[in-house]
Amino acid sequence: MQVSAYLIVSALLFTIGAVGVLVRRNPLVMFMSIELMLNAVNLSFMAFAHFLNSVDGWMFVFLVLTVAAAEVVVGLAIIVSIFRSRHEIDVDDLTMLKG
Amino acid sequence: MVNLTPFILLLPLVGFAVLGLVGRVLPRAAISLIGCGVVLAAFVLAVIDFFSMLGVAPEARFSDVLPWTWVTSGSVTIPFGLLSDPLSAVMLLIVTGVGFLIHVYSIGYMEGDPGYWRFFSFLNLFIFAMALLVAADNFLMLLVGWGGVGLASFLLIGFWYTRPSAVAAARKAFVVNVIGDFGLLLAIFLIVKDFGTLQYIPLIVHPASAGTALPSLPLPFPDATAIALLLFVAAAAKSAQLPLHVWLPDAMEGPTPVSALIHAATMVTAGVYLVARASAIFTASPTALAIVGIIGGATAFMAATIACVQTDIKRVLAYSTMSQLGYMFMGEAAGGFSGGIFHLTTHAYFKALLFMAAGAVIHALGGEQDMRKMGGLRGRLPQTFWLFVIGGLTLAAVFPLSGFWSKDGLLSAVLEKAQTGGGTGWYVLYAVGLFTAILTGFYIFRLIFGIFFGRYRGGAIAAHGAAPAKRGGTRDPLANVHEVGAAMMVPMVVLGILSVIGGFYGTPWSDWIGQFLEPVTHTTNTGIAPGNGLFWLAFVLGLVTGPIGIAIAWARYAQREPRFGASRNPLVILLQHKYYIDELYDAVIVVPIVSLGVFWRIGLEGGFFEGGSLGLGHLVGGISRGLRRLQTGYARNYALAILVGAALLLVYYVIHP
Repeated sequence: MQVSAYLIVSALLFTIGAVGVLVRRNPLVMFMSIELMLNAVNLSFMAFAHFLNSVDGWMFVFLVLTVAAAEVVVGLAIIVSIFRSRHEIDVDDLTMLKG
Repeated sequence: MVNLTPFILLLPLVGFAVLGLVGRVLPRAAISLIGCGVVLAAFVLAVIDFFSMLGVAPEARFSDVLPWTWVTSGSVTIPFGLLSDPLSAVMLLIVTGVGFLIHVYSIGYMEGDPGYWRFFSFLNLFIFAMALLVAADNFLMLLVGWGGVGLASFLLIGFWYTRPSAVAAARKAFVVNVIGDFGLLLAIFLIVKDFGTLQYIPLIVHPASAGTALPSLPLPFPDATAIALLLFVAAAAKSAQLPLHVWLPDAMEGPTPVSALIHAATMVTAGVYLVARASAIFTASPTALAIVGIIGGATAFMAATIACVQTDIKRVLAYSTMSQLGYMFMGEAAGGFSGGIFHLTTHAYFKALLFMAAGAVIHALGGEQDMRKMGGLRGRLPQTFWLFVIGGLTLAAVFPLSGFWSKDGLLSAVLEKAQTGGGTGWYVLYAVGLFTAILTGFYIFRLIFGIFFGRYRGGAIAAHGAAPAKRGGTRDPLANVHEVGAAMMVPMVVLGILSVIGGFYGTPWSDWIGQFLEPVTHTTNTGIAPGNGLFWLAFVLGLVTGPIGIAIAWARYAQREPRFGASRNPLVILLQHKYYIDELYDAVIVVPIVSLGVFWRIGLEGGFFEGGSLGLGHLVGGISRGLRRLQTGYARNYALAILVGAALLLVYYVIHP
């Protein structure tokens, strides 16, 4: 298999994730979209690592997974506390930082 | 010979610190005790110093206490030194002695004032500053005392700080005094430049040459005239000589004891002291002496004429002080430096007495100071009346009271200077002095007759002070007028006695004070000697001038009902406006400076700086108001911006590999 095949799948996944972040209003779904984008990148890292026969890509994947896990923890905690104080969780209603 | 000068200085300073820090919570009796006690103790020490000085030879009467070096700058070293010599001993006696009597008087006068503790604290500061001024052994420490006296006078003139006029007067006094401080500072710079030292010994005082008629200056004075004139600027500002006299009459806004202190024991005497102290410098410059003489004579004459038309009793006395100081400078200019100090001492007695007596009248009338609303108080205030008369007779130089001897000494010095080749100008000054003596007798007895003779012209006096109100039945407007208490009366009596006998240490036949001061002043001119042909002429002229003035005042103000009303006589109007000098200063100095300030405030500060900075602020604010719209608060917008940014970066690197 060509490396391009992996990269095309990766690009598709990344685009789906990006569109998801932009169009969905539920923060949980937005989070899932972000995870999708991260994993799309992971996929391309792994593809390059395999075809270039290098472990650098593996290292980056581990790093991304760790960061993603931490990010989910913090993000979910924020979402829960917002929900507790406002009893609804539509992203478009959270505009208190408007200038 | 002992030298207790450091303790004389320390005592009032301690009093000032204690009263200033904890005076607020002390009972009134404790404040009076501390305030007067420290000055009395200082006076006792000054007396001890004085008598121990008498016990040694004239050359040995100098004692310099040098606790530590104060300033070292290049080759100039200035110690923190206190000099005890005949001149400073006499000055310390006057400052602490008369100062103490004024403190005691203040116990009665300031009774019931909420700022009682503050008043005594400031009085002690005043005494300390003045003692430092006269005890300094170099010009820089003199400047410290000089500035301290200015500060203390500022605080006391503006003591009743809720009165706008008192605050204005305090500020005026301070500003005019700073002009003098500036002159003194410039003189100090010149002295350092010429000699590299500021110490009186050996600069201008030479214990070794005591007893010789002429000072043997070890140093030439290249800038003698400049130094002397700058010193005289300082002296003129402190001692209210033309044209820097404008603060003195306004200083009457302070409480009456302050007026007595400023006019008798401290402050205005500083200038006379400075000229006597720097007599060696002044003697080295005949030009400077001539200018001092002219200014002194002009001040004596102009102030006496103004005093002839004033109706505020304290202002009459203020102008009288100016006039007497003019006499002192005139005499010092003629070489009678010890005569100037002699008149300073007698003036301290009788002017303090006059101010205290005036304060007693004001006190009795519940704060009234206008002579037009007085009259006929002789029966009500007999003791005050007689004390006032003693003070007035002394001021008018009536034989044989102290003022006669001291003023005669000054005029005699001027006459001798004229006779021994001073030029005709000195004869003119002598004539001015004689005429001023007539005016002196006139204005002071115009004041006395106006207050105590004729019928009462004011309204009813309400009950005040300690005495209870007289109950009904009486229609006498003066029913509540009473003599002052012992705290005020005793100092007046003491000063009255001193005014009478204080002149006998300086008569032409036994000029004891002149000989005592001779090691310092090196007086070259002690007045006409009794053997001289002119002596008796001058003596008789001195005898008659004062009584002539008194007789004129008697004819005009005691024989018939006095009229103090408005006059259409242009001369009187000129005098009532004090020669328009205040108006002149307003027009030439105050108004332009204030206008310039208004211009800066409105034009530069308001238009340029304020407008400019506000405009800049508005500009930045407007830009940020526009930019603020970018912050929508929608998370998706931010996400899109990030995405677009990332895409643009990608495109950039694709185009530029």
